[in-house]
This record gives sequence, C-alpha cells and structure tokens, in this order.
Amino acid sequence: MSLATQSPDKLTIIDTIEELHFYLKEALVLEHATIPPYLTALYSIKPGTNLDARNILRVVAVEEMLHLTLAANVLNAVGGTPSLTYAGFVPTYPTYLPNGETDFQVSLMPFSKEAVDMFIQIERPAKKNEGKRLIKRMRRQSCLARLHHERDPELHFYSIGEFYEEIIEALDRLYEQLGDALFCGDPKRQITPDYYYSGGGTIIPVVDIESAKAALHLIVDQGEGHGGSTAGEDGEFSHYYRFQQLRLGQYYRTGDAPNQPTGERFEVDWGSVYPVKTNAKVADYPLEDAELYAAAKEFNNEYFSFLKQLEEAFTGRPEILIPAVGQMFQIKELANALMRNPIPEMEDVNAAPTFEVGPPTGPTR
Amino acid sequence: MSQRHAMANAVDYQTVSTTFYDAVIIGSGVAGSIVAKSLSEQGHHVLIVEAGPAKDMTLAGFNQYVDRFHAAVTKDNNAPFPKNANAPSPRSPDTHKLLPGQPGTDGYFVQNGPLALDSTYTRVTGGTTMHFQSTTLRMLPEDFKLRSRYGQGLDWPISYEDLIPYYRQAEFELGVSADVEDQAYQGIHFEPGYVYPMKKIPASYLDKAVAKRINDWQVEVEGQSVSLKVRSIPQGRNGMPNPAYDNGKGYVPVGAVSTHQVEIGERCQGNANCTPICPVQAKYDGRKTLNKALRTGRVDFLPQAVASQVRIDPINGRVIGIQFKAYHNPASPEHDQGVARGKLFVLAANAVENARLMLASGLHSTSGLVGQHLMDHPYLLSWALMPEVTGTMRGPLGTSGIEEFRSGAMRHKQSAFRIDIHNEGWGWATGSPYPDLADMVDNKNKFGHELQQQLIDRISRQLLLAFMCELPADPSNRVTIDPQYKDQLNNYRPVISFNISDYCLNAIAYSRHMAQRIFQRLGAEDYTHYDPSDYGYVTYQGQGYVFRGGNHFAGTHVMGTSKQNSVVDSHMRAWDHENLYLVGAGSMPSIGSSNTTLTLSALSFMSADQMLNALKSS
Repeated sequence: MSLATQSPDKLTIIDTIEELHFYLKEALVLEHATIPPYLTALYSIKPGTNLDARNILRVVAVEEMLHLTLAANVLNAVGGTPSLTYAGFVPTYPTYLPNGETDFQVSLMPFSKEAVDMFIQIERPAKKNEGKRLIKRMRRQSCLARLHHERDPELHFYSIGEFYEEIIEALDRLYEQLGDALFCGDPKRQITPDYYYSGGGTIIPVVDIESAKAALHLIVDQGEGHGGSTAGEDGEFSHYYRFQQLRLGQYYRTGDAPNQPTGERFEVDWGSVYPVKTNAKVADYPLEDAELYAAAKEFNNEYFSFLKQLEEAFTGRPEILIPAVGQMFQIKELANALMRNPIPEMEDVNAAPTFEVGPPTGPTR
Repeated sequence: MSQRHAMANAVDYQTVSTTFYDAVIIGSGVAGSIVAKSLSEQGHHVLIVEAGPAKDMTLAGFNQYVDRFHAAVTKDNNAPFPKNANAPSPRSPDTHKLLPGQPGTDGYFVQNGPLALDSTYTRVTGGTTMHFQSTTLRMLPEDFKLRSRYGQGLDWPISYEDLIPYYRQAEFELGVSADVEDQAYQGIHFEPGYVYPMKKIPASYLDKAVAKRINDWQVEVEGQSVSLKVRSIPQGRNGMPNPAYDNGKGYVPVGAVSTHQVEIGERCQGNANCTPICPVQAKYDGRKTLNKALRTGRVDFLPQAVASQVRIDPINGRVIGIQFKAYHNPASPEHDQGVARGKLFVLAANAVENARLMLASGLHSTSGLVGQHLMDHPYLLSWALMPEVTGTMRGPLGTSGIEEFRSGAMRHKQSAFRIDIHNEGWGWATGSPYPDLADMVDNKNKFGHELQQQLIDRISRQLLLAFMCELPADPSNRVTIDPQYKDQLNNYRPVISFNISDYCLNAIAYSRHMAQRIFQRLGAEDYTHYDPSDYGYVTYQGQGYVFRGGNHFAGTHVMGTSKQNSVVDSHMRAWDHENLYLVGAGSMPSIGSSNTTLTLSALSFMSADQMLNALKSS
C-alpha cells in the first residue's frame, strides 16, 4: 500500500515484519547513540569530585545500555538480528535528533551546564502532535538515527516518543495478523538477568506480545517519564528529571511534582572538569605526538571491539556480556588517559575519545 | 540544640527522653537492624540508639570511608572509620606484646592477657558488617553439641534443626551467593528445594590452581581417610540472582544505600580491598537492613548516643530504662544525659559491648556468667609462593576454602578448623605488597623494567592460607571492667582476659603441619615465618606460632537451659530481666568453625519472633 493511498490521519508506517525489523534496528542505533555523549561528559569530570553529578550521569548511561539490550531482545524475539558493527551504526558527532518541529544538535562535549541542557533536550518528553506522527522536515546529512519513513525520506518522526509508539502499535497490528508466529526468534538469544544487571529495573526477556510491549514501555518510561509524573511505574525517576536535578542542584523525592524537587540539595563544581575538546576527531591530534594519536586510535579500537562483543552477546552468546563488562573498565581507563592530556599546540584544550568507530575501511592518513 | 543529621528519621535526645517506645534497641549493626526491621514491619514503634554518628547513610558519607581507607598508611580493618574518642573501637595496630603482669592499655581495650588479642569491632552506623569479609557459612549440626559429643566447651539449648528456617531468613537478608550443591557437607542440610538467593561467586584463577592439586587428595586424619575439596565460600555479596529462589520468584540484589536513587553495587566487581570496605557496596552491610527498617517510618534513630547504664526495677528485675550519653562532637566529652524507655529492651551492641554495658550496670546475672566464656576464632596463617603466576589482587578476598576439617573424630583432641584461600596475596600475614616493594628497591636495588618483572613474579605468585580454628567456651576467657580504665565519656573500657587452650593449640599446630603438606603438594615454596617479638606469638610443644584474632567475639552472655547455667534463654531473653534481650554472638555457646555473622543473624530473627509474641501479649 503506497503512502499516497493512505489517508493522512490513518498513516501507518510499519506494516510488515521487514519494516518492524528495520525500525527496531533504528531503535538500537538510537539507544546507543546517546551513550558516547553521556560517557564523554561523565569521564571528563575530574576524579574525586562531583560525586553526585557522576552518579547521575552514570545511572543514565547504564540505563541507556539497558534500553539497547531491551531493544535487542525485542528484535531477536521477532526474528531479527541485532548488529552494532556496521559502518554508520555509531553516528558522526555532532549529529541531530528530532524534537518536535526542530532538530537539535547532539555533541560529544565535556561536562558543563550546556552539556546538561543538551541532555535534557534529548530526553525531553515532546508534546504529542495531535495525531500527526510524521511531519515533513529537511533531511539532514547526519542524523542520530534515521527516524524517517523508509519510503519517504522527508517524513520524519515528530519525536522519539512517537517513534516508539509506532513500533508498539505495529507489534499489536502484526500480532493480530500473525499471532504467536510473530515471535519466531530463538529464545536462547534473549538476554536475561543472569548476564545483565543494573539499570533501574531488571532486564525483560521477550517471549510474547506482553513482554515485548513491556520492554518498549520501559524504554519510554525511563527516558521521558510516564504521564506527566517524574517517575515511571516502578518509581524510578526518568532521565529527563534526573538531568534536571543537576541543573537545579537538588534531588527529587518520590511523589514530588514535576519541576519541584524537595530532596537533598547538592553542589556541582562546574569548574572541576577536564577542558576536553568538543567533538574531537583523530585528525585533531598532531601526528608529531604519536602517543596521543595512538591513544586515540586505541580507544576507538577498544570501543569497536566492545561493540563486537555486545553484538556477539546479542546474537546467541549472552555469556559474552561478562567479559564485555570487563572491557568497559578498560574503555573508562583509556578515556581518562586521553582526557587528562592536553592537545599540543592548542591553548588549554585536552584530548577526548573521538568514537570514530566502525569496521576498518583501509589505510587512514 | 542537637546537630542536624543527614537522615530523615534521626531524632534528638529530648524527643527520645519523652517518648515511650515499643522497643528500645542499643546498636544499629546487623543484629539490631534485623530486630528493628522485624518489629517495625509488624507495626511497632522502635528506637535505635547508636554510639556512632549517622553520616554514612548517603553515598557521599560512605565514600568518605572509602577515601579515608585509601589514604590510610596502616590498612587495618578499622582504617576507613574516623577515630571517635566518645565511642572508641578497638584497632589491631593498638595491640602490643604483653609483658607478664602488665596489662596492655594502648587503644580502647585493656588487655589483661596472658595473650594479646588483636580482634576488633566497629562502632559506627551499620556496625561491624561495615568492615567484615562477609563469609556467611552455617554452623554444622554437631557444633551445637560440642560438650555432649566431644567433651569441650558448652552445648546449645537448641539444635541446627531449630535454626533452619532462620538461616533461610538470614541468607535472604544478608544476600548470600552460593550453590546448595556445594554446601551440603558434614551434616549441613537444607529445606527440600532450597536454593540460595544468588549463585556462587566464581572461583578465582588461584582457587582453580590450588584445586588442581588438592581436589580428591586423600588425607589421614585420626585414622579416617578424608578427601579434600576446594569449595566455594558462601558470601554475603551480590552475585548472579538465582531465578529459582523462593519458588521461582527470584531475588533482587540490594545495592548501595543512598537517600536518593543510585544504581551501584548490584554485583561484585572484584575489588581486592573489599575487606574492610567494598567501594561499590556490593557487599552486605548492616545499613542495608537498617534502611529497610527506617523506611517503615516507625523507627526513630538516635545517633551519637552511647548507652551507659541499664536501669532495673529492684523488685521484679524488669528494665525501666536505658541511660545514654548523647554527645555533640566526637572530639569533645561534652554530652547530655537521657533515658530511653520502652516496653522491651534489646542490647545489640556486640558481644563485648553488651557485656560491658551489663557489668557497668551491675548486672552479672544469677549465673554470674556475664562477660565470661569470651570466644573468638584464632587464625593461623601460612604463606607460600606458587610455582607459577596464579594471580592475586583480584577480589573478593576469599572465594574458596577447604572445609573437610570442620568435623570428625579429631575433635575429641583438637579444635575443628577451616581453611580460607586468600586472593589478596600475603597481605594479612606480611603487609604485602608494601614490604616486598621496599625490599626490592632498598635492599635489592631494582628499578624500571626489572622491578616491574620482579614485582609480578613475586606478588602474583603469593598464596596465603588462613586456618580458622574453633575456640570452645572457657570461663577464664572473659570481659570485665575496672574503674581505673574509662574512656573520654567516662564509660568503662572493656578489659579482655584471653588465652588459647591446649585443645585449640593442638589444632594450631596441626594447621601448620597441614599447611606444609599442602604447599608441598602444590610445589609451592613455603615462606611462613613466625616472629617471637610478634604480639600474637605463642609456643606450644617446642614450636612457635603466631595467631591473629578472627574478630568473631562471642559467648559473653551465653544461652542455656536455666538461669543457673546461662545468661539468656534460647530466645535470647535474659533469665533475670523478662523485658531484656541480649542479641548477637554473645549469646552463642559455641562458634564451631563458622564465621559468626550468619548464625547471629539467624538468632536475631528468632529472637525478634519472640519479641513480637511478647509485645502482642503485653
């Protein structure tokens, strides 16, 4: 059925299993894409300082990994195959995310008020666009996720929330058509609480329509929240409000109204941050400083190898998550090493991981 | 004006002095917190009086402990905690070799001897579980009948069977990681279908290297052939939840304690310095239970208040109130006095502190046994270099042990013991890695790459075996008080009289011998050396050994069958004071070869049940 023959308010985007797989794969891209910015901000905070800020950033980064894993579980359950290692899976920063009428920029930047405002933008629950799930928008060259219609590149999802709504509704639609045959994936590929822990709520193995929707609802809940309250159904505060705590310098308590936290106050030492370069690229590191250049490449190799491990874990070997967790410590150390070092010949600017990550493409430089 | 506390339920001494509680609990360690949780969850209004400050219920407060530990020069088990002259804790660096007739008075304890005991406990919110290793083993059924079976020490008035449902509750509360299949040995048995909340902590590479040569090795012990096995240690730290736990309901690990949502500590990361302090709070500590109690909204918490006297009605022996000294600043003795009143009273301040408080109040009990039968586990350490690099400094400290010596005919002649394989190298025995480094640099003139290689070769091959020996109850081992010895708040300091019987020394000597045989079998080079100037040096049958305290104080208010032969009944209620309970390891008539925390936790649940009955009928 072509777009032209569908009436605008009954526009459905996902009609087939293949389209469902496509959008679930986009969900993987989306959930992963905020991790490098959160990690950059987190690791740029000088060790021993800003404990509260570090914990908030860390909690959110860990929950994004939970979302990534949940999306992989759903994709696996409906017979798809998660992949995290193809060229373009990790976006080139700065990149763009949809939010209502505008796209806004997402960058790799050190911890700062600006960075926190950017994170708040990412997680902001967008107002529903009165039934218009898609809107016409200029196609950007670099976009966080191709949250646009597969067939019409100018039609974008209004927001991340709409994106997931569509997937959830599609699951219902396809389940009505296909019944349990929809969930044809190998149950052994499901990531269970054995191998995945931490992240505000246990990982949901997906085996049927209820668990599939529960997994996707958890992603939405944890990100933007639930029906105008600060916390999701499990009482965990959503990312949007977690970040807001950082700007307000005060914690939320269960039951607080939005924008009115009543918990403990805390200090943020915005100055206790390494002055790392925003959106750093390997090309920024002079060849003369072979050590810095090599460290930057090593980070990217480690990160790519980490994605490869995740992919392996998501495609039938969940036990690989255990060494993958070990590798995260390695990544943290490499990130710290970079961020502590100034870039030669730049005034007061330190190096940062570049996340230029993908399969080897041939000789560089 | 009282200090502003970091906790919502912290009250001041004026509030306490004008409130009548259902229960007054002295001590916020694991025992006190379990009782507080059990009572408050059933609707009772509870007061906890804690000698230490309440600054560690937040992540930032806890991390100060971690930072202090990292900065400490001497890394003893109380190094994370600030000195508090108003509620001092014993510290092992305060221990010195005793000269005959001269008590050792450094630090908090007064060591009467003949042997100096370097065991400690910790007077902070959360208690001694803030520094323990979290080895959570059950006792053996035969441990409860030490006197009847082996003619040593005392019998319990209850059996292992009686404790089974309470062991289950304790294993839930402490969050124990273990596989049932590994733990059903020497009479230990479980309810049908029981599994632990979480699966066993994986064995370290070092454990596996030792197991290769030790598993199935047949050893002759008192005419019996025993087959040794390197076995996973049940531990109160977060591992992989077992989906089969609680009839398939599963288990959600309890992570870090915090007043706001953080997600840390849901699983052990393997930090080697986790004893004393786990940097991520994956290890159990009493605050996790205290937190649950506080969340009921029915618990008042009074920190920086040291109980100083138990006041008794002279006619009927009931407790009227417990007097306390509420100090404002740990550095200054200035304090206010108050009295806590309630229907029933629980002393949960630790075996030594409970006894000290009772004696300070003139309460020796009809049996006269308050303070007597002080027990602990003396440890014998032996250390060697493995033939190959087997890895060290990957925590947690103890993942496997050898349990075959916990029972058997030998117990007629010598103590039972168990063996811990230590993952952190020779640390406890020699202070490694620091002396190794100092030796290589200062004496052997190594630097650069060669220094690196030698460090690896040395430290990564270190194997420490710790033999934990039972010490049966002996009335001459005791806690007493003496008006000469008081602390800054003018409370009595504990006077410790401690000796190791020949029965236990037999086990210590045997352990040394067994260590030599194990090292031989492993092809390891024995580096064990006992220095006669060490405070823990003892000679026995012409040989010298050094023992270390196990930090498992027990027996100071034993339970028994009558007021003549014990201080408390089998529910930990004082025979002489019907509304007074003394919970903790102090009530245990024997300790077997089992670290005391799990058993004392089970007893606390059992005692709380009795308290609930008492409150219902009052």
